[in-house]
Amino acid sequence: MNVADNLSKPPVKKMNWDWVGVAPFFIFAIVFLFLPSLSIFYRSFQANDGGFTFDNIIALFTVRDIINAYKTSLQISLITAVGGAVFGFLLAYAVVLGGLPRGIRTFMSTFSGVASNFAGVPLAFAFIATMGNAGLVTRWIEGIFNISTRELGFSIYNMWGLSIVYMYFQFPLMVLIMAPALDGLRREWREAAENLGGNTYHYWRYVAFPILMPSLLGTMILLFGNAFGAYATAYAFSGSFINLVTILIGAQIQGDVLYNPGLGNALALGMIFIMGLSMAGYVWMQRRAARWMR
Amino acid sequence: MAFLEINNVSKKFGATEAVSDFNLQIEKGELVSFLGPSGCGKTTTLRMVAGFEMPTDGRIVMDGKDITDMPANQRDVGMVFQSYALFPNMTVAGNIGFGLKIMKKSAEETNQRTKEMLDLINMPEYAHRYPYQLSGGQQQRVALARALALRPDVLLLDEPLSALDAKIRVSLRAEIRDIQRKLGITAIYVTHDQEEALSLSDRVVVMNAGKMEQVGTPFQIYNFPETNFVASFVGTLNTAEAEVVDPARGLISMDGVQFVSADDLNGRKKGDKVRMSVRPERFNFADDQKKDNLLDCTIENITFLGSVVRIQVKIGKTVFNMDTFNNPFLELPKIGDNGQVTCSKEAVLVISH
Repeated sequence: MNVADNLSKPPVKKMNWDWVGVAPFFIFAIVFLFLPSLSIFYRSFQANDGGFTFDNIIALFTVRDIINAYKTSLQISLITAVGGAVFGFLLAYAVVLGGLPRGIRTFMSTFSGVASNFAGVPLAFAFIATMGNAGLVTRWIEGIFNISTRELGFSIYNMWGLSIVYMYFQFPLMVLIMAPALDGLRREWREAAENLGGNTYHYWRYVAFPILMPSLLGTMILLFGNAFGAYATAYAFSGSFINLVTILIGAQIQGDVLYNPGLGNALALGMIFIMGLSMAGYVWMQRRAARWMR
Repeated sequence: MAFLEINNVSKKFGATEAVSDFNLQIEKGELVSFLGPSGCGKTTTLRMVAGFEMPTDGRIVMDGKDITDMPANQRDVGMVFQSYALFPNMTVAGNIGFGLKIMKKSAEETNQRTKEMLDLINMPEYAHRYPYQLSGGQQQRVALARALALRPDVLLLDEPLSALDAKIRVSLRAEIRDIQRKLGITAIYVTHDQEEALSLSDRVVVMNAGKMEQVGTPFQIYNFPETNFVASFVGTLNTAEAEVVDPARGLISMDGVQFVSADDLNGRKKGDKVRMSVRPERFNFADDQKKDNLLDCTIENITFLGSVVRIQVKIGKTVFNMDTFNNPFLELPKIGDNGQVTCSKEAVLVISH
């Protein structure tokens, strides 16, 4: 074979196997995210007899219970996202920049790691057993002050009570994410701000918060989604006392009384839409907040 | 009265004394370098002037006003940090204008001053870039402009070039010196790089273990080190143990080889142990027989360093470094050759401690 023969042959393209590394992720995303989403979309337009209908979608905007469920879910998600973010941020600040002993930081990190994953039935039971109608703390308060909390109108089985329960896993998540971000604030930035005549307010207003904003926004959207999609904790805690979208979906798909899978899928589609909107808002804010980042 | 006075300042961190009895008077428009190894207290002293650390003892007086207890944000000093410390969320213009914004200057004045500063550092077209879009040298120039924007009385520079590569360091240090001279601003420059300190400064303070070893002009520091530490830290130095032979004539002996020194040996007696030193560039090959010290030697090694050729010569039992300018037409000796080197008696330093 001479040189001319070699030149006349097209170069052999080498197979690129790099994509194999990310294939499991894409397979996972297709099987457990895209296909279920497609299925939800398709079934949202299905009546109980299998025929095509717009009734389920129309119900989202016309049935009062459903509108209220979305309102309550959004309220709880917003309250616990903002509350968890503020409380978690302050806690992370105290641990990282508050000059506390190193041991406290280790303890807080471990606690946050556990607490952020402590949800569902065990969490609901823990609150019922401590602050429920016959809970340990409730009885203790009643015994000490000789009062009846129920007669005073105190109950944790409402939106605010559920918000407190959710906060138990929301703020530790904030601590876990914000602690490294606060660690990333360099001492020189504070000193430079001070050297240029700034005080603590100026530093936080113009330097630290804008630098932390992408992390704050990211965590808040995570907390929002965390609360918005929570089902087991709410169901175990309140049964169907609190009208949440997730509980309504459960009732429509599994319930004996309200069985209407098409409506359940439409409710889920509504949740996907709201999360999509939140994500779009997040991306827009993130772009503005992080335009200084590489 | 000096413009900036650092009087008997000490700083303790727990039981550790980081700075001990530091005394320095700096005149207006003067650039003084603090030179020393890591942990010698130079940055701590600078931070005390900036107000980021409070002295344990002593006072700091600027323009006749005691600023020792004044908060950092009320002192009229600008600081340039080793790691630039630019605010990453602000553009170049935002960084430079930050102090003016805090001072509630009008937008017009802020823009005008920012423009002036950008012109000063030759970066007028970079106003809208973010720090991550700049090279290290450009970031440090912006940091310098930011520190100067408020027209501070004193400029503090904390190892501003140590994160940059060698070529940029050389050009930027010249730029810093030019700007400092142009503005006539009093400046303190912290560095562990002797070349930087010697080339930039009006005066150099050499520090070691929290104490001032010597204060002087670069010329004095290099040519007439007062302590063994200064002699060994600044520049390359040959040192050896020697013995006083004749104090009146400045005669000392190293391994039986006699050297004449111009240093004052009064107060020493014959047989006293001393430490002698000679800078490598003070040795010459014996083309001048009239030099005070004419010494037999053997060539041990030759290293080519670019503009300089370093030759190791064995005098008696001790190997000395000898530097000579690189000259392509000069015939260098060969390893193992025997010859003679000379040095003046002024080149032979006898260091007291």
